[in-house]
Amino acid sequence: MTTTRRPSALWRPGAGRGGAVASGLVPPPALTALALALLLLPALAALALAQPGNPTPAVSGSAPKSPASGRCGVCHPAERVQFEKSQHAEEDVRCTSCHGGDDRSLEVAIAHGAGFKGRPARKDIPALCASCHSSESRMRAYNLPVDQFALYQTSGHGRRLARGDTRVAVCSDCHGAHDILPPKDPASRTFIPNIPKTCGACHGDSALMGPRGRPDVLRQYLGSVHARELYDRSNLRAPTCVSCHGVHGAAPPTIGDVDKVCGQCHTAERRYFMAGAHHPATNGKRGPECASCHEAHTVEAAQPDRLASSCGQCHAKDPKTLALGRRIWTDYRSAADEVEKAAALTAQAEAVPLQTDDYRARIEEARTYLREALPAAHAVEEDVVAAFTTRARSVGHEVQSEIYGKLGHLRQRKFVLILFWFYLLLTLFVLKRYRDQGARKA
Amino acid sequence: MSAPRPQDPNARAGWVDWLERRINLSEIFSFLTHFGFVITPVDTSRPVREVMRELAETPVPKYASGPRVLGLLTAILFALEAVTGVLLAYYYKPTPEAAFESTRTIVRDLPAGWFLHQMHAWGAWLLAAVVVIRLLRLFWDGLYRAPRELLWWTAVAMVWLVLQLDFTGRLLTWDAHSYWATVRGMEVVFALPIAGPILAFLLGGRVVNDDVLIRFYALHVMVLPTLYAACVYFTFATLRRVGLSPTPEGRPEATTTFRSHLYTMLMLTVGLFGVLVTLATVVPFRFLSAADPYVTPGGVRPPWYMLAPYAVFQWLPVPHWISGLVLLALAFGVLLLPLFLRGDGSPASRRRIRLAGVVVLAVWIAMSAAGALLERR
Repeated sequence: MTTTRRPSALWRPGAGRGGAVASGLVPPPALTALALALLLLPALAALALAQPGNPTPAVSGSAPKSPASGRCGVCHPAERVQFEKSQHAEEDVRCTSCHGGDDRSLEVAIAHGAGFKGRPARKDIPALCASCHSSESRMRAYNLPVDQFALYQTSGHGRRLARGDTRVAVCSDCHGAHDILPPKDPASRTFIPNIPKTCGACHGDSALMGPRGRPDVLRQYLGSVHARELYDRSNLRAPTCVSCHGVHGAAPPTIGDVDKVCGQCHTAERRYFMAGAHHPATNGKRGPECASCHEAHTVEAAQPDRLASSCGQCHAKDPKTLALGRRIWTDYRSAADEVEKAAALTAQAEAVPLQTDDYRARIEEARTYLREALPAAHAVEEDVVAAFTTRARSVGHEVQSEIYGKLGHLRQRKFVLILFWFYLLLTLFVLKRYRDQGARKA
Repeated sequence: MSAPRPQDPNARAGWVDWLERRINLSEIFSFLTHFGFVITPVDTSRPVREVMRELAETPVPKYASGPRVLGLLTAILFALEAVTGVLLAYYYKPTPEAAFESTRTIVRDLPAGWFLHQMHAWGAWLLAAVVVIRLLRLFWDGLYRAPRELLWWTAVAMVWLVLQLDFTGRLLTWDAHSYWATVRGMEVVFALPIAGPILAFLLGGRVVNDDVLIRFYALHVMVLPTLYAACVYFTFATLRRVGLSPTPEGRPEATTTFRSHLYTMLMLTVGLFGVLVTLATVVPFRFLSAADPYVTPGGVRPPWYMLAPYAVFQWLPVPHWISGLVLLALAFGVLLLPLFLRGDGSPASRRRIRLAGVVVLAVWIAMSAAGALLERR
């Protein structure tokens, strides 16, 4: 009602002035004011609602909730702000759930009274979190796993903690203490692109890792093809730390397991590797693993030229094996060159234009063979790679010769042109004869 | 109309006479002569055979040779463009979805389609060159002075029309370069102060899309060619009144019969056809990839006649509306040349005007070269 009264009050002085000017032609001033007021009503109502001073109407039916931080936030405002945004606050976990005490009182003696635990010690944190997160009955509603604590105890972190080393990661180091967010939240420490930074908080800290003889693996990872895939191409399926090391059970893959870990994604490479001479099942002794050639954290994109150089790392004194690597590399290179030559010719044919859809499809086919030749090289056997490179090379050859044939057909046009000019000159000569005859007659 | 005369010993009772009894063939012939076959009036009351026989022996000044041939070439090349253009239009589809595909079908899949396409493209290139060279020739010989102002204006209009035919025709293939060259050109056109919005309305909006394509198509195949044909007519109409361009001083006007003039013209057409076929076969235009409104290819340049302004506006980043105005002023400036450069007709003043023209042309060529070599910013 206040809004309806306000415009008419506003317009009353104006109405009086209008009345002095108006004679019988205009409607009575009070009526004009009323009409104007009615017209302006929605706009003014909106204005009035938008004014900051007006109390916004409470959503009916929902009683005001006491904040999950209770009255603790009065003295601990920074913690309160962090906690109120967290997933735990949403689910009615309270300060007292972890810290004990009484959150209804502002008296320190009562609030920090019976059952008050204060700041939990680092060594106690995993068990504290597990008191809820290992309970199937509590976690069932969220469809969350309950084995994190058990896994943690098997991890490098957990085993060191059990030995009394508290300078290892506990739950709060990766998930945060008060500001825990679900891993799907982009602000969360456990959101996929944030994981390298979360692990790197310790593993990228040379002051912490140096004394333990560990390299700065965050820096190494950030230079890898995996990190480029994750950050430059925003591919959330690209591997981060946890993809190879595990999440709560984080530990470096043991020797002999590396190919299994990498093979989770690089299935074809692993298949050939297992069939090849390098795999222990084949040669009966411990052989090289993925990381022997590709490194563990600084993994680079496929580099076929490694075929020519990597073998020397172990087989430097074995010219026969060295030559094998170089032969595989040369074979691959020549096949790739043939395919690229065919692709360049196709582009040339397209500019004529010739029908090239078929050639494009076949070049794609040849490129697929080449792509398969690279995993096949992990078998370190010439014949296995040659099965693919030979096919790629022959497709490249076929496409080239077919396009050369068609382009040669175009060259014939130029020979026809000579014939054409012969007839053209003949025509001109005949026309000239007719012209000159006519001129003579005249 | 005179009655046919079957008693005439020279007349054969063939299809010409059959037609002659039903329609005035001389009248049709007379109409055609207005487009440049002959510059003498035709007596439409006499039978066509008689008229033509008499005409064949009529002495006419030689105008299929020397610089005068340029005017004839503008008509012959236009006719070749019309023929190849109509044949291309049988298969071309003026929609953004089908334009590139249908052009590729013509060039790649139709027998001799590539030939038509290349002939049309090279013909357009030659036509643009010929109308521009003809304009330079008219300037050099002072043929814009009274009483030939109309000849000059028509020649300027023909340059305008050919350049617009080229601009509209380029877009029709809808390849990456033509599309983006058009986008760039239209930006300048639409930024013009008053004409811009009007043109935007007439050309179907500011975005180069299907509306613009169909309008360019209509302009390219109907409006502009019709106007060009009218210009050809006007050229010969003025020539019939003011006469052919005078021969150089001290040289008598060479005359020939109309018959041999026709033969010369036929030889010219055949020769021109040969040149076009050679160009189309030996140096064909490259076929480019389809236009993508979301990807600007590198190295897009305007056609050769716009390279000079392109170079200037790349160096001086002025707003589009200023560059548009400057171009418009240039175009109208050339048109109004007869009013500015009257001179007193003395050899000295003629030399001065020629020198000024040479300087302007040299600057234009230098700027064009710069535009061709300029790296796009």
